[in-house]
Amino acid sequence: MDKLTKEEVLHVAHLARIKVEDSEIEKYQIELKQLLDDVDQIKDIVVESQELLVTPVEHETILRNDSDTREVEFNMIKKNVPATNGNFVEVPVMVNE
Amino acid sequence: MNRYLDLSIPEIHELFVNHKITPVDLVEECYHRIEENSDLNCFITLNKSEALEYAKKLGEEKVEEDNLLWGIPIAIKDNISTKNIRTTCASRMLENYVPIYDATVVEKIKSKKMIIIGKTNMDEFAMGSTSRTSYFGAPKNPIDKTKITGGSSGGSAACIAGALTPLALGTDTGGSIRQPASYTGIVGMKPTYGRVSRYGLIAFASSLDQIGPMTRNVYENALLLNEIVGKDKKDLTSRECEREDFTRFIGKDIHGMKIAIPNYFVSNIVSNEIIQKLDHVVEILKSNGAEVDYIDMKYLDQAVTLYQIIAMGEASSNLARFDGVKFGYRSSQSDSIEEMYANTRCEGFGSEVKRRIMVGSYLLSGENAKIYYDKALAIRNAMKEEFDRVFQEYDFILGPTTTTVAYNLDESLDDPRKSFMDDVLVIPVNMAGLPGLNIPMGENDDHMPIGLHIIGNRLEEARMYQIASFLENKLK
Amino acid sequence: MGEYKTRVGIEVHCELKTNSKMFVDSINNYGGMANVNINEIDFALPGTLPCVNEYGIMLGLKAALALNCTINKKVVFDRKNYFYPDLPKGYQITQARNPIGVNGYVEIEVEGKKKKIGIHDIHIEEDTCKSTHADTKSYLDFNRNGVPLIEIVSEPDMENEKEAMAYLEKLKEILLYTNVSDCKMEEGSMRCDVNVSVSKTETLGTRTETKNIGSISSVGRAILVESNRQIQELEQGNTIQEETRRFDEKQNRTILMRVKETGNDYRYFPEPDIPPYILEDTFIDEVKEKIEVLPDERREIYRQAGIQSINIEKLIANKEISDYLRNFSGNLVIASNLLLGEISAYLNKTGKKIGDTFLSKEKFALLVDKLDRKEINNQIFKEILIELMETDHDINKIVENKKSASFTEEELKVLVARIVSSNPQSVEDYKAGKDRAIKYLMGQIMKETKGSSDPTLVNRLLQEELARK
Repeated sequence: MDKLTKEEVLHVAHLARIKVEDSEIEKYQIELKQLLDDVDQIKDIVVESQELLVTPVEHETILRNDSDTREVEFNMIKKNVPATNGNFVEVPVMVNE
Repeated sequence: MNRYLDLSIPEIHELFVNHKITPVDLVEECYHRIEENSDLNCFITLNKSEALEYAKKLGEEKVEEDNLLWGIPIAIKDNISTKNIRTTCASRMLENYVPIYDATVVEKIKSKKMIIIGKTNMDEFAMGSTSRTSYFGAPKNPIDKTKITGGSSGGSAACIAGALTPLALGTDTGGSIRQPASYTGIVGMKPTYGRVSRYGLIAFASSLDQIGPMTRNVYENALLLNEIVGKDKKDLTSRECEREDFTRFIGKDIHGMKIAIPNYFVSNIVSNEIIQKLDHVVEILKSNGAEVDYIDMKYLDQAVTLYQIIAMGEASSNLARFDGVKFGYRSSQSDSIEEMYANTRCEGFGSEVKRRIMVGSYLLSGENAKIYYDKALAIRNAMKEEFDRVFQEYDFILGPTTTTVAYNLDESLDDPRKSFMDDVLVIPVNMAGLPGLNIPMGENDDHMPIGLHIIGNRLEEARMYQIASFLENKLK
Repeated sequence: MGEYKTRVGIEVHCELKTNSKMFVDSINNYGGMANVNINEIDFALPGTLPCVNEYGIMLGLKAALALNCTINKKVVFDRKNYFYPDLPKGYQITQARNPIGVNGYVEIEVEGKKKKIGIHDIHIEEDTCKSTHADTKSYLDFNRNGVPLIEIVSEPDMENEKEAMAYLEKLKEILLYTNVSDCKMEEGSMRCDVNVSVSKTETLGTRTETKNIGSISSVGRAILVESNRQIQELEQGNTIQEETRRFDEKQNRTILMRVKETGNDYRYFPEPDIPPYILEDTFIDEVKEKIEVLPDERREIYRQAGIQSINIEKLIANKEISDYLRNFSGNLVIASNLLLGEISAYLNKTGKKIGDTFLSKEKFALLVDKLDRKEINNQIFKEILIELMETDHDINKIVENKKSASFTEEELKVLVARIVSSNPQSVEDYKAGKDRAIKYLMGQIMKETKGSSDPTLVNRLLQEELARK
């Protein structure tokens, strides 16, 4: 059966920030390949116009006035935050910068 | 126990007005039925004490005589944000998430004094066609408990079909209202994209998602749609429409209506028992003065491919916010940022969701965005134009809602493509942003319901209810 | 062997001066207490959707117009997807495919030579959360999340640090003058990333990006040291890597942060939650109208009016005063002298803005006219300044009152003679060569005339009178 390579699965998993257990790799190699083969059919479809339909919305977009504002107290939001410290949201130390 | 819940909404309203019953009577009956039918697994979270308290308070107020939905119990799909009522999306990721705000539709439901009974079961993040991807287990089809309800709004469908509540809200990204409605024999409407505000609907695929009513009959469906539509400044994709009464054409005949049936909808992908029912509907239509033509439509057979690309692409981005930082589940294995992400999302999401996010991420990465995503959007545009062309000539497009009746709950979940193929007939509607309605058109030899799919032009919901109600009567 | 040529391109992020955020309806203000200017959209709570700030779009358009860009009338947004804790939605809303403005330019002048620096594009986007770090944890403040930004991407048209600094100065001036941004680099409301490459041929060399430099002069130094570093590397036979660096002010050198991943995979796609917004031509025209005369045009007006270049730059640097001079039709030299001299001194002393005083533009025009016609002199102007600034008295009345208290030359002569003869001791002192004496006599005369007389005239008359003694 056609499969993705192990590296391809790990690359896609990293893009999606989803850990894949070693035991699952084989399963994903097959399943992802099946889905990707499906969507590959799109390459064969001929379409004349190159216009893209991003959203079926046809109405005029009405924007927000700069002066319309509202705030929510952090105490409310905090209830769902996994880790806080004082008025801050806490996460493992960010590296990068 | 009384059986008030089996009465029609106008009949219940009459009883309220005449002080024969109170909202508490109705709400107690709901919870009684839900408990009796707990094996259906329709609900993830019940709102019992708050609902009863609210019903009691409502009972002390004056009945709003011009508000037919006053005091009527309603079930809400669990991907719609309800303040202070846990909203899980049927996912471990949100198992303990209690929203701090109401979705705009929920505000509307509350302002019309409907009573929220609970949050219904569904496919995790609405990804699936059987509701079996729910972290809380699959709901069962009340017609035959060994069968699937369909999905993703399976809990809402089963809730109506099992007569647990008279009203429910579902959501439909690629058939998630209409397909389970078909499998359970109820009425389900996916309105025109933009009719109903999506603010508070936990996004799966933003350009396809739409909230809609799921009910026992056409009239009540129109009643509920009346109260949930409208422009919302919190949702830029919602549209300004003149206030209209969607029940206004119900009862009128269908003489002179022009109806198209795409050949693809009656091709060999649809089982014979379903084609037969559709043939019967065509006879009724013709004998009542409607014109029916079988037509060819381009791109319909490509809808699933488009859907896979667009829905999975958008989903991979919409679900990026579930990262363990701000709400919901955070893995205990979170010593570094990268570990927190990978473990949280590995442990918090189920396999269907993970698969779709991975494929969606891949489809948008690097050059793929052009090869797949842009191409899909170009075909999507062509498909919409194809529908526009047909609607210049025809009032409605009809077909079956599903290719088969509801299948067994224990059928394998292994083929990742199966869940998409279940929606092959209903997906095109989401692509074009059109309204689509399922009504029952009979049952097979095993008494499993068969659904008729009515597709209207944009904003033509009232006319759809007209033909739907006409057929509903003829098919009784 | 030819000489190495340096090429510089600059990406500038500017915060827009709005009341609320770009895609969230909470207040645009950070730096105070953490997590107060927030709502559920900032936290990307499930089900929330973006809402677009109309004024933010207007400012973006204004900037694009002021930078001579071609406008994309169909405003659309894209999602830039990446995972980082300071990015709540997991994507940034930006304009990757169709920026609001493209193909613009800014004209700079370096050592008398004018040059156009191309603007590749200008796009609207949103800022991220602010994070602070401890040993094992980081802390997020969502106040800055969603703050409206424009990113201005130049072409690699600058050939040295002087051009780059002139470009940034000019950009800053324009954005300040259009009220688009505060452009305070020290507070982070303007941030620069500098792309530098060197090459001996016309083909561009491999570039490095030096991030987040704190001031315009640091940008200049960073470009200088970075291009020198690259030349040295190449001379030693090494190659330049595409990488991100930072400028260390103290050591005056750039330091490697990270080598660029091969093509950052941001998985851009069109933002489906924000349908296209069409900029009507009438709206674009309205915004064009709102763009005030830009600095270079003002410089030209001042130059033609004969204002000295040092004063021209003083005017440009003081937008409030320069604005006050707009549409002024009288003598600009006199007007600018007044504004930059006594009036600025008064404003500095009192801490007022010119708009807060009673000196209306009409009143000011009359004043300059009177000075120009020599109906009044500088001395009188100085004396009536406070009355002009602090009362709504008619300027003609003020001047009349002042003048009625003043003396003709004949009257002054008589007065001078009287003062001199009644102060013989001072005359003696004057003759003995004591300067103090003349000052004293001047003072006495000015006192009698209540200061209304021209001191030069009084001085001359006094000298003449003393000479007769």
